Amino acid sequence: MTGAPDGDCAPTPRAGLAERQAELVAALVAAGPPPPGFAPGPLAATRAALLRKRAGEVARHWPLLAAGLGDRWATTFADWAARRPTAGSLRDGWDLARALHDQQTLPPAAAEELATREARLRYDGLRAPRPRRVPAVGRAAGAVAVQIAGRVRLLRPAPRVSTRPGDGVPDAAGSELWISD
Amino acid sequence: MRGRRRVRRMTGPSGIGIGWRPEIAGFVAELPGLRFVEVVAEGVPASGPLPPGLTRLRDRAVTVVPHGVRLSLGGAEPVDPARVAHLAAVAQRLDAPLVSEHIAFVRAGGLEAGHLLPLPRSREAVDAVCANVARAQAELPVPIALEPIAALLDWPDDELTEADFLTEILDRTGALLLLDVANVHANARNRGTDPLALLDRLPLERVAYAHVAGGAEHGGLYHDTHTDPVPTAVLELVGALCARRRPPALLLERDGHYPPAAELRAELDALATAAGFPAVT
Repeated sequence: MTGAPDGDCAPTPRAGLAERQAELVAALVAAGPPPPGFAPGPLAATRAALLRKRAGEVARHWPLLAAGLGDRWATTFADWAARRPTAGSLRDGWDLARALHDQQTLPPAAAEELATREARLRYDGLRAPRPRRVPAVGRAAGAVAVQIAGRVRLLRPAPRVSTRPGDGVPDAAGSELWISD
Repeated sequence: MRGRRRVRRMTGPSGIGIGWRPEIAGFVAELPGLRFVEVVAEGVPASGPLPPGLTRLRDRAVTVVPHGVRLSLGGAEPVDPARVAHLAAVAQRLDAPLVSEHIAFVRAGGLEAGHLLPLPRSREAVDAVCANVARAQAELPVPIALEPIAALLDWPDDELTEADFLTEILDRTGALLLLDVANVHANARNRGTDPLALLDRLPLERVAYAHVAGGAEHGGLYHDTHTDPVPTAVLELVGALCARRRPPALLLERDGHYPPAAELRAELDALATAAGFPAVT
């Protein structure tokens, strides 16, 4: 408890609980300033632990995205998520997959997972994804999925480029044609 | 049917249980002596079909306790009535004898933290938790048990000891205690306090059941990961708890990096041995 600015550590409460909680969450998930009085080490440890938990939950919703990135998953996710508060695991994974797709670094299995999600649900990047009411095609990095009456089928797998380093992770192309999540 | 359902609801958690997760539903279904599981309440739909694994456990009259993780009972804002209604509906459809949630907050100022965060041990926080627990209790069909969490940070605002903070919340709300033995270990280890001294000061007669989970050391801190094996020190603390007053039930939580079935069975057996309960495997 050193270095709290301008006498803010008087015994009277600094701010109400609501404000103090909001400051702490912003510092942990939205790169907000450290709230007065908190030790920096435990704050950093908590921030890292939240990112690890969040990565684990996103990996459960996007197993092929996580598996496709292999041992790069944890750092890729943490780099992307550190300044972005969660929008829920489904949207977090979706946003990350689209970002990697834009950078042309989305692994093939993850492209297929993204294409099947794009075919099943309509997601504008701002609000919760909603089921598509009409037949739709989802595409990502060469993968093509089609949805008819709520069932999604992967029509074409994403091409496996042999020059991609570290792409030895087995994927689910052809083994999970019907996805009903 | 009605009568049988009512009898089932009377059955509180007993013996050794395990946290039901879709990934280990097959493993859980084959545990012959299992009488009790817990399920993450937010993962259970309020209507429509239940996950088939859960239905089969209910058919075997296994007690299923919904465990909320997103209510944010410790938030300064009033608890979201829709989240309480969901928890109530899930309790109803599972014939649960009780539900559980955490003494923690998970969102503030419009931002989701993504996981459980500790409260300051202040009178203002006690008031906030008690108000939210009362709001939840007014809508829930069954009692609620409250779980103290593992925290990697402490608030500078702390006024009360951990034991006084928890006891005051339990006294004022009449809630039961869900005591997580791994959290007691984690907090004591990270704060440099004595876990046994905390056990001696908690109202152990209020424990509805206990949690036990694995963790690991990273960067000089013990992390309650739920993805690592249960350390010996946590099992020893289970023994120390049971020597003081054995809870009616103890439940193993595992949330990822699932080991082979034999390893998970061995963890359940070790927990049963530490607590002096019959094995469920």
